[in-house]
Amino acid sequence: MTPADLPPSPGRPGDAVAIGQIGVARGGGVLRTFVGSCVGLVLHARHEGAAGLAHVMLPSSNGNGSPPGKYADTAVIETLRLLRDAVGEPTLSCTAKLVGGAAMFAFHSGMPIGEQNVLALEKILGELGIPITGRLCGGRHGRRLAVDVVTGVVTVETAGQGTETLA
Amino acid sequence: MTPDDGRLAALFRGGADDASHALAKWLGRPASLSVERLDTLPIADAAAVMGSSDALICGCAMRIDGAIGGLLLLTSADDAGLSLADTLLERPTGTSTAWGDLEQSAVIETANIVGCAYLNAICDALGPAGAAGILPSPPVFLRDFPAAIMEAVLMEQPVLSEIVLLARTEFRIDGTPVGCGLLFLPDAASLAALLPSAIDPGTGT
Repeated sequence: MTPADLPPSPGRPGDAVAIGQIGVARGGGVLRTFVGSCVGLVLHARHEGAAGLAHVMLPSSNGNGSPPGKYADTAVIETLRLLRDAVGEPTLSCTAKLVGGAAMFAFHSGMPIGEQNVLALEKILGELGIPITGRLCGGRHGRRLAVDVVTGVVTVETAGQGTETLA
Repeated sequence: MTPDDGRLAALFRGGADDASHALAKWLGRPASLSVERLDTLPIADAAAVMGSSDALICGCAMRIDGAIGGLLLLTSADDAGLSLADTLLERPTGTSTAWGDLEQSAVIETANIVGCAYLNAICDALGPAGAAGILPSPPVFLRDFPAAIMEAVLMEQPVLSEIVLLARTEFRIDGTPVGCGLLFLPDAASLAALLPSAIDPGTGT
C-alpha cells in the first residue's frame, strides 16, 4: 500500500497537538506542536504514509499513564497503537525523530527534565528496535515543529535561531 | 468551583493592589495591575493560554518557594517590553529596539519588585498560613514562543497535576493597558493551601 492508496485521515492534520496529547494522521497533512522542555516524539511509517506526534512531558508514568501521550513510556506504545489502527496493519516498520527537551529555566540543579525525557524516549525506542533517524534536542529555547505526514520530514524552528529540517 | 468569584479572587486582587503601588513607585508615574483572569484549567488548555502565535515574546520567570510556591512570570510582547524598559531608563519611547543587557535588566527588576509585592500581599492575607513569606529565585529572562514559555512554566511544577490555577494580571500605565502582565501558577501544594482559604465553608464556593 502506498500513501496514494490511502484515504485522507479522519483526524485533523494541521491542528496543533496539545501538551501531553497524541496526534496521528495518514495520507497527507501536517502535524504541529510547540515544545520547550517537553519532547515531540515523531513516529513515521514511510510505506503507509502515516505519522504520529506525541507531546511528551515526563519520562515515566510510574503506573499512571493517563493521558498516555504525557509520559515517555506510555507515549511510544500508544502512538504505535494509534498508527497501526490508522493504517489497519497489525505490524508497522517505523522510524523516530525527537525534538525538544530544552532547559528553558535554570532554577534547579541535577539533570533537567527535558534531558530526562529525551533519555527515556531513546531507551524505550531502542528496546522496541525503532531507529531514531533525526533529533534536535537540548539547548535553552523552545521549538515549533511541523511533521509532513507522508514524507516524515520534520521542520523545526528554534526560537530566535532559525529553521532546520530533519529529513 | 468558580475561582473567579469570592475570596480567592479577593486574595489576588489584594495582591494586585499592593503590586500596583510598587509598580507606580518603581516607574515614578501612575500605574496599576488588575486581575484579568483567575481560572482553573486542564493542563492541556493552560498551555494555550498565551496563544499559539509564532511571534516571540519576552518573559521574566521567578521560581517561588515558601508559604506559597509556584512560578511567577512577567510577560510582554517585544514592543511593549521595550517600551517599559524605555520608561524605566527614562528614555523616549522607541529608543530601545533590541534586548540588550540594560533592557533585560530593567524588566527583570520590574518582575522582581512587582512580583514580590504581589505575592507578599497574598501571603499577608493568608494570615498564619502565609507567615513564612515567599522565597523568590533570581528572575530569569527569556525570549521565546508563547506556547513554549507556557509549557516550560507548567513543567516547573514539582508535582504536575492535571488541573492548574492560573492568575493573570495586566499592567496599566497612566491608565492605559501596556501589554505587560504577570502570570502566577501556584504549585500543587500551594493550590491546596490557597483554595481552602478561599472557599467559603458555608457554600463551598
